[in-house]
Amino acid sequence: MIQMNHVYKTFPSQKFALSDITLEISEGEFVYVAGPNGSGKTTLLRILFGAEKPTSGEVIVNGMDLTEKNFHKVYSLRRTIGIVFQDFKLLKNRTVGENIRFALEVTGHPREEAENRVSEILPWIGLQGREGDLVVTLSAGEQQRVAIARALINDPPILLADEPTGDLDAQMTKDIMGIFNSLHRKGTTIVFATHNVDLIKRFPYRTIVLLDGKRVDGRRKEGVRAEG
Amino acid sequence: MISFLLYVMRRLFQNTKGNLFPNLATIGIIAISILVFSAFTLISVNLTSFLKVWEDQIEVMVYLEKGVPLNEVEELLKNTRQLKGVEEVKYISPFDAMAFLESKMGGQKSLLQGIQPEILPPSFEIRLEKEYRNPIKIKELISQLKQIPQFEEIQYGQEWVETFSGLVHTVGLTQWILGGLFLFAIIFITSNVLQLTIASRHEEIEIMHIVGASPAFVQIPFYAEGIIQGLLGGGLAISILYLLYKGFFLYIPPSIQIWLARIPILFLPPWVILWILIGGMVLGFFGSFIAAMRFLKYNV
Repeated sequence: MIQMNHVYKTFPSQKFALSDITLEISEGEFVYVAGPNGSGKTTLLRILFGAEKPTSGEVIVNGMDLTEKNFHKVYSLRRTIGIVFQDFKLLKNRTVGENIRFALEVTGHPREEAENRVSEILPWIGLQGREGDLVVTLSAGEQQRVAIARALINDPPILLADEPTGDLDAQMTKDIMGIFNSLHRKGTTIVFATHNVDLIKRFPYRTIVLLDGKRVDGRRKEGVRAEG
Repeated sequence: MISFLLYVMRRLFQNTKGNLFPNLATIGIIAISILVFSAFTLISVNLTSFLKVWEDQIEVMVYLEKGVPLNEVEELLKNTRQLKGVEEVKYISPFDAMAFLESKMGGQKSLLQGIQPEILPPSFEIRLEKEYRNPIKIKELISQLKQIPQFEEIQYGQEWVETFSGLVHTVGLTQWILGGLFLFAIIFITSNVLQLTIASRHEEIEIMHIVGASPAFVQIPFYAEGIIQGLLGGGLAISILYLLYKGFFLYIPPSIQIWLARIPILFLPPWVILWILIGGMVLGFFGSFIAAMRFLKYNV
């Protein structure tokens, strides 16, 4: 489902953000990308959803080769990937329903269909009856649930999460991880970037560890399932 | 397709509502730019029309040497009629000329008493074919007429024709130079205002990119905004120009009105109005296109 072969990424006036990254993530797998701040986790995720071009190497996501020649089609890839961020990236002056519906409206779904899908997903994230609430009135955990609902509204086979529990307290983190575990059981491929070792211990899945842009988990030979 | 159009209209409405003042300012500035260009177009249209009316009446007067025998006059008349560009030639004898002069003098024709018609030269009044009624073609005919030795003097208002057509040319040139300058101004203004709009909707655009909105879904509402700004700016300019045109007739003194009654003062023809509106829309589109190229690159 996701493949990276000898991927390098450099930014101007910076050493390697990623250096010789090779990895493979199978369909339905839950994988952590762990490492301290600045280790390259976010860059790796950005490459996976086509926000950055690799300097060299091969990246294949959901069958699409993310090389230069395919980069203009990246929007079609993003419809098959849900993305969740630490800062939620929600439209603050809009309601819960409007935020979730937005992802469908701007990808060409009729309004009626979008409204039905929003009604279906709200109970699943525990926000039934909150469709009309402005997102600024929600707690951080609730806002992250809205962001997850928006990421999932297109029913994507892959979910990328960049420190989604970074700003949440223990209870909210547990709630959000419950949603991710449930998604994993339904067969969604999840790539979850975090620097929280406790989280990995509490919810153990295969972990890819980055340090200064390099893989240091000692499991570079793919196919070996690591435990957190 | 219909849902896409509804989406574009919804986005357009949201963008306009969210940036009402910058949008109104853009429409105003586009209107002023197009108004100045349209005013010069209106002047140019009227001068050209006046030149055409005047050219339709253009005639050449040829004065013959005195004492040319009548049989020779007939021969000259025949030869002149055969020249290229000549539609009709009328012989005016000294007696006809005197009668014309008397009619022009009106109550003061007594001043002409005692003057013999023979002192006036016989002449040919030459009416030109339509395509010869312009400064360039008329000169071709004049050079042919000058080769006939019995023709002593040729008059056709040369200076007036050349000065007036020079004026029409200058106004036309100014119109297009201003048009060129305003073209850049409109593109620059529209582009900058749309950059403000794009900046104010930065979060929304970022999310659109994240969820996989196609470039059409992201960019077309902004193109539509630029086109509509151009259309409204053009429409406003034409409306103001029309009011000024009507006001011109209302507030000019009656003495000038009588004089103006002989000259048709036209408003812009519908096809020129259409082109100005289309031009406004095209410029608005280019402004939004430049803004989109710079600020709507597909990335996060």
